Amino acid sequence: MTATVETTDLHAVLAALRENAVALAVSGTQPPTRIRVEAAGVVVELGWGAAAPAPVTAAADPAPVPVTAAAPVAAVAPTNGSSAPAPPPGHRLTAPTVGVFYRAPEPGAPPFVAVGDHVQPGQQVGIVEAMKLMIPVEADRGGPVLELLCGDGESVEFGQPLMVLG
Amino acid sequence: MTTVLVANRGEIALRVLRTCRELGFGTVAVHSTSDAGSAAVRYADRAVCIGPGPAKRSYNHIPSVIEAARMTGADMIHPGYGFLSENPDFAEVCAAEGITFVGPPAPVMERLGDKAVARAMMVDAGLPLLPGSTEAVDDVDEACALAETIGYPVIIKASAGGGGRGMTVVRNGETFHDDFRRTRATATAVFGDGRVYVERYLDSARHVEIQVLCDAHGHGVHLGARDCSVQRRHQKLVEETPAPGLSDETVREMGEAAVRGVLAAGYTGAGTVEFLLDDQHRFYFMEVNCRLQVEHPVTEMVTGLDLVAEQLRIAAGEPLGFSQEDVAPRGAAIECRINAEDPARDFAPTPAVVERFTPPGGPFVRVDTHVGAGYRIPPDYDSLLAKVLVWAPDRAGAIARMDRALEELELTGERLVTTAEFLRTVLADPEFAAGKHDTALLDRMARTRTTL
Repeated sequence: MTATVETTDLHAVLAALRENAVALAVSGTQPPTRIRVEAAGVVVELGWGAAAPAPVTAAADPAPVPVTAAAPVAAVAPTNGSSAPAPPPGHRLTAPTVGVFYRAPEPGAPPFVAVGDHVQPGQQVGIVEAMKLMIPVEADRGGPVLELLCGDGESVEFGQPLMVLG
Repeated sequence: MTTVLVANRGEIALRVLRTCRELGFGTVAVHSTSDAGSAAVRYADRAVCIGPGPAKRSYNHIPSVIEAARMTGADMIHPGYGFLSENPDFAEVCAAEGITFVGPPAPVMERLGDKAVARAMMVDAGLPLLPGSTEAVDDVDEACALAETIGYPVIIKASAGGGGRGMTVVRNGETFHDDFRRTRATATAVFGDGRVYVERYLDSARHVEIQVLCDAHGHGVHLGARDCSVQRRHQKLVEETPAPGLSDETVREMGEAAVRGVLAAGYTGAGTVEFLLDDQHRFYFMEVNCRLQVEHPVTEMVTGLDLVAEQLRIAAGEPLGFSQEDVAPRGAAIECRINAEDPARDFAPTPAVVERFTPPGGPFVRVDTHVGAGYRIPPDYDSLLAKVLVWAPDRAGAIARMDRALEELELTGERLVTTAEFLRTVLADPEFAAGKHDTALLDRMARTRTTL
């Protein structure tokens, strides 16, 4: 990590951080309970649940924290000041298990999603099959499908990126 | 070409992969996210991430391991020790998927894994057992009456137990009812099986085990005895072969009994028959371990056999390439387990980052490890960092060589404490040096330390 950051770069980093933080904040079904924005080391951190303040009114939404918002904390990886390439835009949805990835509920059926579709958090976007066990892949945030990274019937490892969500 | 998937991690994954490489087999490592970039992952031809850190969702997760084998076209799965190595369901799934499981057939593993059933089988095969129940006892009054007949102290053990868990020593009848209920509750919680059995407990016993190899054609051989009496909480720390002070006659009798017992059970592959020895050197069957043991290298060093290679040949259906007369152990070998544990704090684990690591070297020293400088010890798994092994023509020479090796070993990091220094005090203990120690040695040493 470089010791100093040019002022113009700092502004660019801050702008990117702001943008990411806002994008993440609106992606959940509930407002975040925790926001942290750092500058030169580049960190965006948002949290849901856990430290949620008590609802002010009795009519507050009683819905539980959505389990599909898998990671309670979303973070952007640190970049190396101005010299590093910008992180690829979007959010990578990863395989929930090792197995075979399927884009459609059954052979010949239309795929769950295509590039350009807008998905809701929790929406099923694929299947990973591990030993005849069909494990649904659900969007862990809402947004447009920017890119598919894995073809139908391809073997995937645990944690392998499957698609990019905007 | 044969491709072997190693369903394990740490030093044993690397050790198995090395033999596969020597045999010209293709190799696959599976790993959790905690072990990404591990020594085994870097060593294997291919590596597949099968899940997150907790073993339940990775190394113990049968569908994920099988998927990895299917994905990489592996024909064989070597399970190492721990994890799925003694899981009959896993062996069965492998068979159903057309993958060769390196170990005994699933039904054999299931019967021997149930300690109460195994006891009954060994009684039938004529092996001596400590007085006790030959099957699980459910009723506390019945068990208590049995304990009175056996005579205290007794030990209550979980039928499905292992790894030193699910057992309670009972000194007298007053606490029996409570101990019985508690052991059953523990067994239910830990193993999902509350059945227990009761047997006589030997206060000063030695733990001596026989390594066996059986092929699928009804042939079996024994490869000598390992003494594993240096234990804390039923976990071994030092293992050696031959067992000190035991006559050739006793070892031969134990070996023959062991082979008779496992062949009667239909065993194939490498296995270990554990015995307890009383101070008269009378031996009693304890259990069969249906896997490669952590301490298998001491047997390799005196016999010149590669036990993993033997396992793979047997799994491929080949007959044993030698007979009992060909087995000629030579010299003495000792293993010391270097764990990330603090002996001064009752062997509490010390997960940390290894900053400096220099293994010992020189003549007749073997180090099985997956550790290097910068290694972050994951909190998810056991604390074994390295096995230091030595060979020498006799036991005294092996002890001196081990002390030299442990002195050379450099394995340090902030907040990292290992068993290495403590093991040197064990080697220097007069009782150990004389080969007259039993399983109570470490307790006695701990008491001496506190009174000083």
